[in-house]
Parts: sequence; C-alpha cells; structure tokens
Amino acid sequence: MDSMDASLASPDLGLGLDFPFWVASRRRFKPDDPFFASGNLERELLAKHVALDLTEDERYQLQRMEIADANLFCPIAGCGARLECLEEFEDHYNTRHIASCSVCYRVYPTSRLLSIHISEVHDSFFQAKVARGFPMYECLVEGCGAKLKSYKSRQRHLIDKHRFPSSFEFYKKAHPSKHQRQKLQRKAYKSSDAKDHESFMDLDGKKESKQTHPNHYRPKQESKTETERESEMEVEAKLDHPETTETKVETKSETKKEKPTTETEMEVEDIVSGISKLSTVDASSPSSVSFGHRHSRGFAFVPRSVRNQNQNQNYKKEATRKP
Amino acid sequence: MASEDTSPSHSHHRDSIKSSVTNTAANKRRQQAISIGKERREALIRAKRLCRDSIFEDDKNEKGLDEGEMVIDEEQSVLNARTAQTVQELKSSLSYQGKDATRKTTEALRALRKLLSKSEVPPIEAAIQGGAVPLLVQCLSFGSTDEQLLEAAWCVTNIAAGGPEETKSLLPALPFLIAHLGEKSSVHVAEQCAWALGNVAGEDMELRSILFAQGALLPLTRLMLSNRGSTARTAAWALSNLIKGPDPMAANELIRIEAITDTIIKHLKTADEELVTEVTWVVVYLSALSDKAISILVRSDVVPVLVNRLVGSESLQLLIPVLRSLGNLVAADAYITHSVLIVGNDITGHVLYGLIKCLKSEHRVLKKEALWVLSNIAAGTLEHKALIFSSEAVPLLIDLLSAAPFEIRKEAAYTLGNICVGPTKGSDNKCDIIVAHLVPLVKGGCLPGFVNLVRSADLESARVGLKFLELVMRGYPNGEGPKLVEREDGIDAMERFQFHENQEMRNMANTLVDKYFGADYGV
Repeated sequence: MDSMDASLASPDLGLGLDFPFWVASRRRFKPDDPFFASGNLERELLAKHVALDLTEDERYQLQRMEIADANLFCPIAGCGARLECLEEFEDHYNTRHIASCSVCYRVYPTSRLLSIHISEVHDSFFQAKVARGFPMYECLVEGCGAKLKSYKSRQRHLIDKHRFPSSFEFYKKAHPSKHQRQKLQRKAYKSSDAKDHESFMDLDGKKESKQTHPNHYRPKQESKTETERESEMEVEAKLDHPETTETKVETKSETKKEKPTTETEMEVEDIVSGISKLSTVDASSPSSVSFGHRHSRGFAFVPRSVRNQNQNQNYKKEATRKP
Repeated sequence: MASEDTSPSHSHHRDSIKSSVTNTAANKRRQQAISIGKERREALIRAKRLCRDSIFEDDKNEKGLDEGEMVIDEEQSVLNARTAQTVQELKSSLSYQGKDATRKTTEALRALRKLLSKSEVPPIEAAIQGGAVPLLVQCLSFGSTDEQLLEAAWCVTNIAAGGPEETKSLLPALPFLIAHLGEKSSVHVAEQCAWALGNVAGEDMELRSILFAQGALLPLTRLMLSNRGSTARTAAWALSNLIKGPDPMAANELIRIEAITDTIIKHLKTADEELVTEVTWVVVYLSALSDKAISILVRSDVVPVLVNRLVGSESLQLLIPVLRSLGNLVAADAYITHSVLIVGNDITGHVLYGLIKCLKSEHRVLKKEALWVLSNIAAGTLEHKALIFSSEAVPLLIDLLSAAPFEIRKEAAYTLGNICVGPTKGSDNKCDIIVAHLVPLVKGGCLPGFVNLVRSADLESARVGLKFLELVMRGYPNGEGPKLVEREDGIDAMERFQFHENQEMRNMANTLVDKYFGADYGV
C-alpha cells in the first residue's frame, strides 16, 4: 500500500498526504435517486385522487419511514451483522464490539483480544515465560498464528506484515500527559527491550483508572491544567471502581511511580481473584482484530435509541401536521 | 460481554443484552411492517390517480341518482360477479344492431364505470377477466358519441390505476386515447383521456416509451394550454408522468416544443396553486433530465418566478417541487450561482430567505432538500460562502447537524464544510481553508456533529466527517485542531476504522491518526 509507505517515509510537510481532502463541489442527483424518494412519496401522499387507499395510520407510518434503510450491515471487518437502521449501529457497536476486562476495565472489540490482553497484562506466568525467552506475544490478526518474543517485535510484525498503522498500540496509553510521556521517553532510552515491557506494564498498571481521554458518557469538560486533570482523574477513578479490591490497591499504587516489579507481584494476588471474575465475551463476536478503548463502564450504558426517544417525540409532530 | 460475573458494575451489560434479545421479536414485527410498507410505498410511487367523481360539475348523469353516493358497499365476490355481468351486457349491446343500440351501450358503459369508480376497491381484475378491454377499445373508436367516449375513457382511467399487469393490458387502447386528446375533441373527453394516459405513463419506463413513440407528448402539451383549470392540471400531471424518465428522451423533446418555456412561466404565475404544483413537477423533470432544458431554463424567467414561489408559498405540496426544481438547476449548471444568484442581487437574498424558511419548517423533506440546495450554493463563489456564513442559517445548520435525523445531518454537514473551503482546488488537490469561517463554526459547536458522522455505518457520512476533521486539524490556527478533535472523542471515532472492512476508510482514518496523533503528539 503506497499510501501507508508514503506517510511513513515522507517528512511531515503537509504535502503528499494521501487523503481525499474536502473539495466543495455541487452534487447532482438523478430523478430516481433514493435521495428524492421521500419527496416523491410525499407528493403522492398529498395528492388528491390517490389510487391507493391508505389508512391514517399507514399514511403516518409511511411518512415516518426511513427510506434508505435497506441492506445495512455492520462495517467492522468480519462482523457483517444486519442493521435495521443507521441509528441502530451505535448500539450494535457498543453491545457487540466491546468486551471488557473485569480487572482493569479495559475494553476490546473481540473476546480473543480480551484474552490476549489478560494474558499479557494480568498474568505473571506469562511474564515468567517471556523472561525465559519463549515467544509469547501472539499476533493480533486471527489466523496468522505468529508468536513473537517481545511486545515491540510483535508491534513490528503487525506493521510490517499486516500493514497496521505505525501509531497503533495494543496498549493504548490513552494519550498520557506530557509529563508522563517525557518520563516514558527517558525510560525507553535507558532500558533494554525487556525492561520496556515493564515500563509498559508499569504504565498500564498505574494508569488503569487514569483517563485523560474523555468519553461519550461524561459531561464535557473545560480544558484544565495537567495537575488539575490528574487529581480529577484520581477522584474519578475512585468513583468508577468503588467495589473491587484490585482497583483500590491500584489506586493507592498510582501515587507510587517506582518499583515495577513489586507492583507486578502485588497484582498476582489480585489476579487470582480477578481472573475468577473475568467477564467472558459473547460468542458471536467478530473474528477480526481490533484494539482496546478506554471507555469507562462506571456510567450506565444508555442505548442511543432510548436517549433519542425525546427527539423522536418531537419529530412525531412533524408528520401529522397538514400542509 | 455476556457477563457471568455478578458484580454490580456489570449488570448494565446484562441489561443491554437482555433488551437486545427481547427486541428481536419487536424487530421482526418492525421488519414485517417495513416490508409491507415498502410494497405500499412502491405502489404509491407509481403515481396513479383514481377518478371517482365526474370531471365536470353539472354532470346530469350524476344528479338525482343515489348511485352518486360514494361507496358501493358490497363484498368483493359480489362486486366481481356484478362486474362480469355488466361486461357481458356491454358486449351484447355492442353486437346489437337494433334501434336502441347506442343507448344500451351507453348505459352499460356507465354501469361499468360506476362499479369501477364507486367501489372502495375497484374490481379491475374482474373487469379485465370478463373481457372488458377489447370492448372498451371498441367504444373508444372513432364515431362513438361523446358520452360513450367519456364513459369508456373513464373506465380505462381506473383500470389503468391498477397494477402492472392490469395497466399493460390496456395497450390496445393507447392510440385511441392519444387521438382523442386532439383539439377537435370535446374538452371533457380530452381531459378524461389525458387522465387515463397519465395513469398508464405512471406505471413504468416501458409504457412511457410506448406512449412517447405513439406521439402522446405534443397533444398533451397542447392540452396543458387549456383555459380550463382542471384540464390544464390533468394534462400537466400526465405530462410529468410521461417525461419523468429515467430516459431523458421525452424531456428533451418537450423542451424543443416552441413556446413551452413561456407556457410554463405563464402557468407558474397563476393563482391556481394546484396547477402551479403540477406544472412545477414538469419543470422538476425537465431540469433533472434534459441538459438543453437546463440551459434554457436558467436563462429564462422561470428561475425568478420559482424563487418568488419559494418565498411566498406555505404549501408543502407546492414547495417540494419548487425547491427541487431550483435544486436541480443549481446542481446542474454553474450559470445559476455565477450569473443569476449573484450576491448583492435581490433574487439571491430571496433564495436564501426561502431556503432558511424551509430549514425552519417541520417537514423533513423540505429541510433535507433545502439543505441540499444550500450546500450547492455554498459550493459557489467566496461571496456565496460569506453570505451564507453571515446569515441566520449557521446556527440552524449546527443545530440540524447535531440533532436532526440522519439524512438531514448529512446535508447540513455538506453545507457547513463547503462554507469552510475556498472554491478552487490547488495542484495538491486541496482547497484553501477559510479560517475565518472555520473557527467560528467550530466554536459554535459543530465538531460533535461531525465526529458523530464519522461513527456512522454509512460510508459516505463517515467520509464527510473524516474530511471535515482533517480540515479542522490542518487549518485551525495555532495547531489547536487535533486537541479540539480529541476533546470531542474524535480519536476514538477515527480509531474505530482501523478494523473497518473497507480499505479506503481504513486508510483515510489511519492517515489522519498517524499524522495528527502520532508518537510525537503533544510533545
């Protein structure tokens, strides 16, 4: 894929970006284009002498019906689920393409990725094998079967063999604060490859409940200074995870930013209880790959269809009004 | 996600699964309702009109008889039997050579006509099965009385309001119907024949081609000139069905008729709103199908007259074709935006006013199609973009982008995006970003709506959303774009595409994420 290579290879000049930029141009439709379907329907519904006998109810329903609702399928690779209407997609995505880890609340679109995550992040036995040189890091693309010896080499494999974007990170650090990024960079310069895992793990373990990444379900927040945000995140973390013991431990450990190994050890106990509480994923999840989001599940998930009910009420009025 | 875990924080997962399970039953019902609705919808789109009442008031045949009442309330089987019997009576009266033949024929025709017009569900099938069509053709032949012609044409009208097979069975009658449109015909007969032809033409392209080949266009057009309102209306409606395509042949031929433009303009100015409506639909199809027509129309008075209607009318029925005609013209020919709707001319202000009026309306169709027109105007000159930007359209646009039904949001998105880029594409395939428009629009809260579009399952919408996000990230001053996008969950939305099945979408999203949220983001 030339486009990928181009964006990797060329310096960031703003030129040569292979992207279909917005161009303002007039759009024209043929008379039988579905775009006009609702207008054509309206013409007939309003006409006198209509040949079709319609009940009031039918008239209303026809006016309300989404004309372009045929052949809608979920576009996530490997899913192909039939969607009744576009509005349904969001709910479908949130129920079918999200699998969450009960230990750290990270969310993945497939059960396979979730289990890979659990092995790599919450399983000390996994780390033990890695330390002894076994290739443990599975390729994320189902069916590939490759196993790599380190997180970084797996990363490289994904980019080279499977054309993943260079910015892809299985462990999304959710765009950490500038301070933390600089720390990470300093660490990366100092340590070897093996230690990198720990620093990733490290950040992972610590940063579980920290979220600099806003999400749908929170009210929008004004931009804050970093320190404000960090302390706020800790408060939010406590709100999010009031029940489980693991996170209480983690919250405490957030304040300590050293000694990665002790944290890993601490987690082992938590893992035992954590694993027993693992959420399993529904069997019909797609076979293809996706990565983790940092959605907090501490807030109630309200399907868009329910949230939109108020809006629908308003639009109901529209149809029954006579011209 | 099908959680076996019992911790409270996961119960809401289970609820959402539960609701999606019980919903499948409701979904099935809804699906059924949609498929039934689709059939009815498609039947409606065939644009048939049933003639239930006499086309002229003072019809002495209607007065004094209680069969002038609306419904013959009978069971379908009884109705069918009566129909078959009536057809037999017609048959025998036609072969009857005696003194009263004409009267008998007329009576039989009338009886058949009443069955076909006063019944709730006209027994069309039964009439055809009984052999009515050849008999009706016979009645439509030259030499029949005006009364017979009228009744026969009326029967054919209602048979032609039926389904595809039923309509096609009328092929033998077509040349006669066309012939009786002639200027020597009684105006009532001509009108009734036009109505019948309108129903036939509404059926499908094949029948339209046949009618066109048989020469229906010219006489219908002439009939549209009639001084009699109902005749002109019926002819205009039939004409719109005849030229609606998708083959542009008839539309191209229509515009070549001398003085057609003047006729159209004359009718567009009348007080009879129904006539204006039907004639405007003729303009809709002319402007959609015929480049020649477009070229003529944009240079004529049609545009100002349509604009006046747009501004002055409150009737949904009229506004739909007016809006669409203007939309077709603006979309097809740059002449309009560059030479007619020049910023500063009154007409331009009027158009904007009229479009905004439609945006504020409650009707989905008006909103959607007005946005389409507006988006095309916004694709015009810098002056047009500035004009729209400084009008009261902008808050409406942002609102519609955020809260309206999907198809409207998409159109609002096009409009807003078009306002933010210059008219010319550079050698690098980019248009200049009009920062003076982009910044206020983003500050006005348009970003969430675009991010929402990125999340859509509809590819085109997602593309529109991504393209706008690119504008923001590239053009927002002080490099603040990416941060703003992130704040609205834009990264999330874009990252969803990493595993989209469509490679183009994956590339689009990944390119942006790589460029703007790469390893050095924020450093």
